[in-house]
Amino acid sequence: MYANPIAFGFSSFFVLIAHIAMLFNVYINGNYKDARDVVVLGAAVIIIDIAYFAVILFFKQTTYALDFLLILILNISFIFQSCFGEVGFNAKHLITCIACIVSCKAGFVICRNHKLLHSRKKLIYGLTAVILLITLMVTLIKKDMWIYIGKFTIQPSEFIKPLFVLACATSIEDQQKKHKILFMNVVYENITLLVLTAAICLVQVKSHDYGSLPTFLGIFSVGFLLRICYPKAKFSKKKLLAVIGIIIVFVLIGLKYAPDYVQHRLHVDIWSDKTGDGYQQSKALIAIANGGWLGLGPGKGFLSNIFAYDNDIVFATISEEWGLLFALMAVLAIIIITAIPLINPARSYYHGTISACICAAFIIQMALNIFGSCNLIPFTGVTIPFLSSGGSSLMVSGFMVGMLMATQSPSFIEPKHKKQEPSVPAWRWQE
Amino acid sequence: MDSVNIVLCIIAAAALDLCVLVVLITAYREKKSAGKKWSEISMDMELAEQGMTYQLGCDEVLIGRHASADIRLPDLSVSRYHAILTVSEGKWTIKDMGSKSGLFINGSMVKEAVLNENDVITLGNRRLIFRKRGHERVR
Repeated sequence: MYANPIAFGFSSFFVLIAHIAMLFNVYINGNYKDARDVVVLGAAVIIIDIAYFAVILFFKQTTYALDFLLILILNISFIFQSCFGEVGFNAKHLITCIACIVSCKAGFVICRNHKLLHSRKKLIYGLTAVILLITLMVTLIKKDMWIYIGKFTIQPSEFIKPLFVLACATSIEDQQKKHKILFMNVVYENITLLVLTAAICLVQVKSHDYGSLPTFLGIFSVGFLLRICYPKAKFSKKKLLAVIGIIIVFVLIGLKYAPDYVQHRLHVDIWSDKTGDGYQQSKALIAIANGGWLGLGPGKGFLSNIFAYDNDIVFATISEEWGLLFALMAVLAIIIITAIPLINPARSYYHGTISACICAAFIIQMALNIFGSCNLIPFTGVTIPFLSSGGSSLMVSGFMVGMLMATQSPSFIEPKHKKQEPSVPAWRWQE
Repeated sequence: MDSVNIVLCIIAAAALDLCVLVVLITAYREKKSAGKKWSEISMDMELAEQGMTYQLGCDEVLIGRHASADIRLPDLSVSRYHAILTVSEGKWTIKDMGSKSGLFINGSMVKEAVLNENDVITLGNRRLIFRKRGHERVR
């Protein structure tokens, strides 16, 4: 049972209040044909809230702060997505939100015991290779990034992210297993990770998913830096400069050989090319300006007529209908998710690396989407975790939050299959 | 937008803000529970030597002469990374990391050993006692 029942009660109450206040705003300011639409939406949100609060008590966790933040942001996302254009009931997004919650709990259960995960490292590398192969095959055969199953689309490359985070995580003990090659002491695991990163980057380039490249490079940079600067993150300036140098070289090579349409996006003036490459960004900026601080009202925006309004430029759509203030608050809630590991740091180096890599992935994705919408950087089409629609993105983000929860409530049990080394005197052992 | 609608928008934003604040306070309160849980897992043990105590705050504690070791013993007889302590449900294990002077538990040279309360760990010229936090050495 939860150790802080008062905190649990208060948090649940305030999450409900936040959602009810939003629904009341929809009822008063929203664009709807029938008041029943708002009632159905409200009932769904409140039922999901209460059901989630009841379900999480069945999971033995030390901390629940991430659970409250997850359900808060997921239902906010559900309300946003149901209101874009006109208030209704976005059943597809509701299903993906529930899938996100399920994958979150799966992530929590799978990643709780890092000793078990560590012993399954080869399986993690194998699974990553299989998904990479699927991504490559889909790209080569279908000339597309997605697999279509009815109304739902799956982007296989998204599922590489949590596996890559797990591949980046390591223990201090493994980082001590150094082998001499020529004049250098190298750790074989670090070389494997480097090869895996190169393979992921090549597949992403081949499938023209350039937007995800910074996320993968960010995860790798954080994971690799923590590996070489362990255990107290005592940053070595030389190593830091070497990693930055390698990333800059990678980026420059990428830019040099990027296709024409990518290079055009890097230099495009969106206001002189409003019907071409600058179309979405110029409309997004006009919408943000139209919305102002408090927005036009749920369902009253025009951006919902623009392509990818609910994922690539979702920040602008929210700003237009709900106001910049509310859009920034929603982003703040996601930033707080990434800040929770700072309040309650992980007790193991393995889990610490996982937390850092996940936070890097979330922050980079949000920055790419928001700054891209605001024309501060080239437009990439990366989703904002939780707020954008998209089954693969939501499921993967949910799984990664589950991994963060696991780092907050870890278990330290040796896997049963691990061969126990007998504690015998060293002289006998050496014989 | 009339003034009532503006007030409603501000209330909705404020409710969200307040909710995030309450969850942050919850996270701080849960930090204490997490600390207690860790005490259960680690059995509240610590390492001690002449007037010094070293807390075991995570599941992998590196002992050595190097500045980046968790427990730093600035002594030339201690290797840069001498030994590592790991915990599994209240059971602490110490492992030699390939040190030159070896790892001794209660006078016996070992490569890996499960630690018991009041065990004496010898690394080079340094002697550490594995004991309950805040307890003086019993024997």
